[in-house]
Amino acid sequence: MLEKEQKLLEILKSAFQVEGKVIRNRRVEIWDHKEMVPAILLMVKTQLGYKHLNHITCIDWLEEGKFQLVYTVFSHTDKLTLFVKTKIDRDPAIMPNIDDIWDQANTYERELREMYGIEFPGLVGDQEFILEDWDEMPPMRRDFKTDVYAEKTFFAQPGREDAQDVRETITKRSGEEIPEFAKKYSRD
Amino acid sequence: MAREKETTLYIGPQHPGITGNMMVKVKVQGDTITNASVHVGYLHRAFEKLIERRNWLQSFTILCRFCVPEPDPMELTYARAVEEIEGREVPERAKYIRTMVMEMARLQSFMLWYGGQSGSSGLYTLGQWSVGDRNYLLDLFEDLTGGRIYHMYIWPGGVRRDLPKGFKDKALKTMDYIEKRLDEYDKLLFDNVIFQKRAQGVGIIPSDKAIEWGVVGAPLRGCGIKADVRIDEPYEAYDKADFIVPTFEGGDIWARAQVRRIEARQSISIIRQMLDKMPEGEVYNKVPNPMKWKIPAGEAWAKTESVRGEVGFYVVSDGSEYPRRVHVKGAAYTNGVTVTEKILVGQNIADVSFILNSMGVCPPEIER
Repeated sequence: MLEKEQKLLEILKSAFQVEGKVIRNRRVEIWDHKEMVPAILLMVKTQLGYKHLNHITCIDWLEEGKFQLVYTVFSHTDKLTLFVKTKIDRDPAIMPNIDDIWDQANTYERELREMYGIEFPGLVGDQEFILEDWDEMPPMRRDFKTDVYAEKTFFAQPGREDAQDVRETITKRSGEEIPEFAKKYSRD
Repeated sequence: MAREKETTLYIGPQHPGITGNMMVKVKVQGDTITNASVHVGYLHRAFEKLIERRNWLQSFTILCRFCVPEPDPMELTYARAVEEIEGREVPERAKYIRTMVMEMARLQSFMLWYGGQSGSSGLYTLGQWSVGDRNYLLDLFEDLTGGRIYHMYIWPGGVRRDLPKGFKDKALKTMDYIEKRLDEYDKLLFDNVIFQKRAQGVGIIPSDKAIEWGVVGAPLRGCGIKADVRIDEPYEAYDKADFIVPTFEGGDIWARAQVRRIEARQSISIIRQMLDKMPEGEVYNKVPNPMKWKIPAGEAWAKTESVRGEVGFYVVSDGSEYPRRVHVKGAAYTNGVTVTEKILVGQNIADVSFILNSMGVCPPEIER
């Protein structure tokens, strides 16, 4: 059991002195500094057969002031998924570019640049991928408040006065109590 | 001969041949495309951001909207990722039902593909037939889930309710009908010289580059590479089903269509097997009060096979009632952007929507 996974982890540990673990069958994760990520990805792609880049994702750990980046690669021969994870500072957020290793990384990185404000030096393509003419904070950052932005930018369609909140209107009209579970909730 | 002037054409976002709210900007010399770039951003609703503000079960209202023609893989993938983080078991019967629902979803999506692929080559009759016949499958979904398009039937811990009375009988009869109709479709599409001439040798993905380019799903199997999440990482009850994963050489539209032609029949076969082998028992390992349901901190990556290819979810929990991050990687993200941009070069303008349909491009998967 988990022989292939252990073997992959050992190869990576001996080559790069990375930290890592076997999560479960078919899942291996490693952690390293951001400068090492392109070298690791190039090595697993060219020498170990991890040719399929599943995706690149970012998780905003606002409390720590860090972004966690996850590069997920898959080997069609071993049928294993490898996660290469790293944490970078939120400000300034700079990450080495890997679109010379995989062409399709370009769109992921352009999206991360728009949505999280992460810079990838040398990234091909200055134009926006999804967000055009966006002047605000990158919107996927945790400190971007969608409700504040929506209130500032949009306005409620004028209509009947009692059409604003159905539940409140019902209580006003009939005097009926709204049960606890049906009340509006907030995250704060 | 004088060099023809290069012209820029914008195909979409409002164009009968485009596969959704997106635009393909092509540079052409004469009729030949010299450069193509895919532009998205016409329907970005920040789904991933919205999910972060909803609790674990409320997210389902958004999940199914990632791909309207085939919402079930999104629900299943998310549910599996949540189950993996929480360690929640799924009853055996629910696994069979989930597999059946996935194949029903694939089958109805194949019917839409028949319509798109034939319609974009001018063969409108087949589109009308297949979309009409698809309604019989939507009837089954309505009986089972209450919804025709969006189902929200698969939940963490199983499925929401058991099969209704008489469902098995109705489903088997529908499968018999659809199977017969698929033979009719073949006569109209695959035996048609127009389709053969237009599909063969067009939109070729080189097989040696396919994996590196990130191609997934039927386009990858159309390059002769046997890759399918259902056999690479069997989930639910797929390891108990007997089915083949077809591959074809060539990498062109013809090969991709042939792959889908066989896969549609395989879906029918899997649905029958699931109905036949389904054990008795519970279907739902009930979750606690959804408003107070906390998932332990952790991360999980789950993937399933949709008609368009691999659908993956990277779900992160920080231990609260709300997902910390849900990253959706739909098949169209690579198939529909970087791969399409590459294979459009050198093709005829008239083939753009033909190629987009064969790649299964679904814009909401690109801009989540």
